[in-house]
Amino acid sequence: MSYIKLENLRKVYNKTIEAVKRFDLEIDKGEFIVFLGPSGCGKSTTMRMIAGLETVTGGDIFIDGESIINLEPRDRGISMIFQSYAVWPHMTVFDNVAYALKLRKLPKEQIKKIVDEVAVICDIKEHLERYPSQLSGGQRQRVAVARAIAVKPKLFLMDEPLSNLDAKLRVSMRTDLKRIHQDLGSTSIFVTHDQSEALSLADRIVVMNQGVIEQIGTPNEIYHTPESMFVAQFIGSPPANFFDVTVLVKGDKVMLSAKSFEFSVKKELEKKLKEYDGKQIVLAARPENFTVDKTGLIETEIIIVEPQGSHIVINVEVDGKEIKVVTDKLDLQVGQKIKLGLTDKYIVFDKDTTNRIY
Amino acid sequence: MDKIKTRKPFWKSPYMLVLPALIFYLIFWAGPVFSAVKEVFTSVDGGFSFETIFFLFEDDKFLPALGNTLLFAIVSIVLQFLLALALALFINRNFKGSSFFLFLMMIPMAIPIAAVGIIWDTGLTESGWFNSILSVTGIQWFLDTIGITDGAILWKGATGFKAIMLLVLIDTWTVLPSVMIIILAGLQNLNKEYSEAALVFGATRFQTVKHIIVPIIKPTIITALLLRIISGVQVWLIAVMVFDFDTVPFLVERIVYYNKFFYTDEYFKLSVAYSIFVMMLVMTIATIFLSANKKAERGRT
Amino acid sequence: MNYKVKKALFYIFIFGVGFMFIIPLMYLTTTSLTSRVEINDFPRPMFPSLSHETQWEWDEANNRYTFYWENNSEEYIPLNYGDPEYLSEYLDAYLNVSITPDELEDKIESARLDGEIVDVRLSKSLFRNYGKFFDVFSGAEDAFVNSVKAAVYTIILSLSIGGSLGFAIARTNIKGKDAIGIGALIVRMFPTIAISVSAAVLLINFGLFDSMFGLAIVYSIPNIGLTAWITRGIFMGVNKELEEASLVFGASKLQTFYKITLPLVLPAFAASSMYAFITAWNDTGVALLLTNKNETLSLLLYSSIGGAGSVQYAAAGSLLLIIPALVFTFFLRKYINQLWG
Repeated sequence: MSYIKLENLRKVYNKTIEAVKRFDLEIDKGEFIVFLGPSGCGKSTTMRMIAGLETVTGGDIFIDGESIINLEPRDRGISMIFQSYAVWPHMTVFDNVAYALKLRKLPKEQIKKIVDEVAVICDIKEHLERYPSQLSGGQRQRVAVARAIAVKPKLFLMDEPLSNLDAKLRVSMRTDLKRIHQDLGSTSIFVTHDQSEALSLADRIVVMNQGVIEQIGTPNEIYHTPESMFVAQFIGSPPANFFDVTVLVKGDKVMLSAKSFEFSVKKELEKKLKEYDGKQIVLAARPENFTVDKTGLIETEIIIVEPQGSHIVINVEVDGKEIKVVTDKLDLQVGQKIKLGLTDKYIVFDKDTTNRIY
Repeated sequence: MDKIKTRKPFWKSPYMLVLPALIFYLIFWAGPVFSAVKEVFTSVDGGFSFETIFFLFEDDKFLPALGNTLLFAIVSIVLQFLLALALALFINRNFKGSSFFLFLMMIPMAIPIAAVGIIWDTGLTESGWFNSILSVTGIQWFLDTIGITDGAILWKGATGFKAIMLLVLIDTWTVLPSVMIIILAGLQNLNKEYSEAALVFGATRFQTVKHIIVPIIKPTIITALLLRIISGVQVWLIAVMVFDFDTVPFLVERIVYYNKFFYTDEYFKLSVAYSIFVMMLVMTIATIFLSANKKAERGRT
Repeated sequence: MNYKVKKALFYIFIFGVGFMFIIPLMYLTTTSLTSRVEINDFPRPMFPSLSHETQWEWDEANNRYTFYWENNSEEYIPLNYGDPEYLSEYLDAYLNVSITPDELEDKIESARLDGEIVDVRLSKSLFRNYGKFFDVFSGAEDAFVNSVKAAVYTIILSLSIGGSLGFAIARTNIKGKDAIGIGALIVRMFPTIAISVSAAVLLINFGLFDSMFGLAIVYSIPNIGLTAWITRGIFMGVNKELEEASLVFGASKLQTFYKITLPLVLPAFAASSMYAFITAWNDTGVALLLTNKNETLSLLLYSSIGGAGSVQYAAAGSLLLIIPALVFTFFLRKYINQLWG
């Protein structure tokens, strides 16, 4: 049996606003789960229902086989890192970390021992006597982490904990969080709208949109085999390019035909696409799924060049709209005529259901 | 670029904007304070003397007035703080009609004290509206039955401690909204995640209030309480309107009483002496509170 | 279900608290609409009556009408007797009923003609006490005018002196800003009633004792400091770039001040003037110590206490005092926290 189970979870505000429509998820012990989605998709609400900070409209939550939805937050065996860190300003760092332990009535020496341990893990040993206002944003973040791991929770919740940090700190803090998770093996749920955070941290990602789960999968699954157009569009930077194409069955071959190009699909796809003969579907290709050489099938001209150091991103016009292509040919110039080819890694979606065909 | 220094005429100097205030306070604030001190330390015939100081301390009503004033100020501040905090915590959420409720709550604090006096002066007579409510709601009957009262309560006959408690209740009715609104503003500016974090990390709701919310909004609370205690030590009008002069002595009541009902120089000086005592009391309390506030804010900003 | 019960309890509690705070004012309002006879009823009604039930009979022996009035306990008690001329005056004075002798005669004459008891419902002129307030308390009109005067003078003094001080702290590089800040805080807390006793001597020397301007001076002591504090905050908050932009586009300094700065700081000045108004309008103690013959409205009401039989007029006067204070306080509620900044 799984360690944590969210069953048909729902949240409705004011009887009308459905923040979370349906949420089913099972989490194994020690897993690092990331809830990913645009703001307002219900990911924070779901986390707050798990924490007990938000009442549950329908469904149930189990930790270790026990339903927790009728328990107070303090009795759920969870800990949490908040977006604003919520490090209490009137307490020293030591008191912040020790507060939960004091409430659990642990003996003083033991509290001190635990605080010292987590302070070493989080690298805040020398700040224990300071007040939060004397610390930088990153240090406050570490205090919040220390406070959360000190209580040895059954489940570790993080609500966009990195969004208030500057870009550089965010990346290093991300690595630190991953290291702490690997060392402690704590079961974690992490909420974010930043896909690179999600991809780099998660064992499994739960992509949410408008109160429902779009896809659950490992970072690789989410990136390479997105189940819906929403996921394909939301994940990846720059995002995937979409083309409206028509399926044409010509004898044995199945062709995809757009305004300015036409090609026969890969073998695995032929069977599935036969039933779409004559219909429009959506072709999705990530910027790195293109080749730039003299043999490609789409002739176009470079409009914008954005060097990124190791590679460049170019904007070109295909079928009347601008698309982004990533290439390692660093010497490309604006106005240059090129030919784009497509590698086999493209995906096709049903235009009506927006779900992946292959 | 270097600034070109031109000599402005003196009347264009920015200090000209400060001058009116300076002159005003020199004449109308420092002047009376200084002359009050001088008045107290000169005898009736003009020489330096401690006569008035002795007169003040020998006044039979001095200690009762001081005691009553402090009792009133402290009891009302404690009661009002606890009630206002509870109420503010309770309505610190958006319920339907919350703004209308706040609107109702704010009415008493807008009422001038003279009108408050009239409300309660007429309300606390034997057949006033207060006893009417007790009678109509059956509370009077209940109190009579369990033997606490025997017939209508004669509120205005209250003396000593009871009279002061009655005044505390009237004062609480008047000012509770203002205390509550200040605390409510503090709560609304408080990051909700602070108390959520406490709840998650094992605190009960009561512990969250005690350990997290109150300490964090302490500067706001101190401000509200300072405001209250300063007007608390200046209580007099309600007491006089409900109980008349010289029944429940307060410090400021003494100032007015000796000033208005006695016409000799000695009593004028006594009234000035009470004034100085009140000024010093207010300034002392303010200093204590403001330094407490500094302490509360230290290490935070 | 549980949730609904909780919600219901919450609203009952909220309603109870709100009601508790409003009850005294409700009774005051009712009192102000109550006639001289009704005022002795017990228990006192929470809402004012709009009319009186009366019974009239003809007293053949003395050639006059006798009338009875129904009290709170639904008993008819005899009130007075006489001819319609006299009774019409009596009704106005004691029951707040405005009726001419002829109209009264019309209603009750069947008692005389038929020898029966006649039931008559007489409607009250509801706001009669407000008119009577000015008759009963001689000088009430002057007191009202005085209160307005004192408030206006206080506004002028506080805004002109305090406003320029606030501007100086916010916008110029004068020295001693900290000292000014502490000073402003001290005067805001200073007990004006304590300073009044010795200020009286000073005002006598200036010939300002017993004058509204003299009162305004004392009221301005805390209010100049307060105004300086509020306007300082606003002047600092006004985006300097807006003003600079205006200057760059060719406006003069004065034009910039009128067109850009003033509209932006106007709310702060409005708030400060309302504070000044309320300080002056609500005060009783300072006025008691610093005036002799020229009463303010609040002082007049204070001295009305204890006048037997005039409670309902004092209540009417109180509402006249309360309403402006109430209106201004509601405008001010956004600023209430800045009072002590």
